Amino acid sequence: MNQELQLKLQAYVDGELPDGEAREVSELLTQDTEARALLAELKNTRAALAGYESETKLPEGRDFYWSKIKREIQRLDTPATAAAPVSIFAAWRRFLIPATAVAAVVIGVLIVGRQVGREGAFRGPETETTFADSGAFTYRDYASGMTLVWLPYPAENDFVETNPEVD
Amino acid sequence: MVAFEELVARHRDKIYARAYSMMRNEEEAIDLSQEAWVKAWQRLKQFQGESSFGTWMTRIVINLCLDQLRRHKRQRAESIEAMDEESGGVERHMPVVTVNPTERLERVELRQRIDQALSQLSEAHRTAIVLHEFEGMEYKEIAKAMECSIGTVMSRLFYARRKMAVLLSDLKKPE
Repeated sequence: MNQELQLKLQAYVDGELPDGEAREVSELLTQDTEARALLAELKNTRAALAGYESETKLPEGRDFYWSKIKREIQRLDTPATAAAPVSIFAAWRRFLIPATAVAAVVIGVLIVGRQVGREGAFRGPETETTFADSGAFTYRDYASGMTLVWLPYPAENDFVETNPEVD
Repeated sequence: MVAFEELVARHRDKIYARAYSMMRNEEEAIDLSQEAWVKAWQRLKQFQGESSFGTWMTRIVINLCLDQLRRHKRQRAESIEAMDEESGGVERHMPVVTVNPTERLERVELRQRIDQALSQLSEAHRTAIVLHEFEGMEYKEIAKAMECSIGTVMSRLFYARRKMAVLLSDLKKPE
């Protein structure tokens, strides 16, 4: 017997065959002894299994079994019940702590910023080089309102002009 | 909570029995059945009463067992048994068992033998037989639950039954 027929017989036993195919299998069973034997085997196995599960009993006692379920349910329910009632004071405190922290940071930034601004306003003495003449540079002292300009002598350009043999 | 405890008391054996049929491990079956009850508590509002509470509960425990069996499958290396699973291995070629095991055995003894036989089936074959014989699911429902084709379900069921028949006949009382 091929596999297709075996599975068809099983589907016949399980009532999963369409009417047309079920009639075909019925006819086959009247002629084929092997098919009849397989059909009987499948039915016997089904019969043997019937009622098997209803005799299986939980090995643990009722209270012990339930206690674990109860504990787990209570554990899962706990966060939801804790989050529900929050007093006004607790809510205010919950808001106040981060708000205070933010305010402190803002004040700190403002103080530091102002300090930096002041220091930025104070400009110490500085020097600069005039690019037109790399030999000259300027010294400015803003605090005393003084500016000094150093010029090399003789000027580099003049030196070139007055010493043509250098080229 | 008191009412729920009463529901647990009423259905606990059935839910445990289904988990045990599928897992064949007492400890695992207890854990999974308890997990099923916790899930049921969380989803109690989803129970619409379209089916009985018992049916709804067994579907929860079946799904948990299927998840656990998938984890088992991922954990273990591919065995020869798993390779034979789809082809049916030797079961396809076994001679037909003509003896009816239910005829000459006492119910208690038959039960012990079914226990042994079920334990010797592969997880896939056993699941197919449990879902069909005990849960009364149709081929297409089993295919959906086991995430396979209807053809695979038919093969698994057929080879599971054939192996069961042979195991039960091998263990039968001598006349």
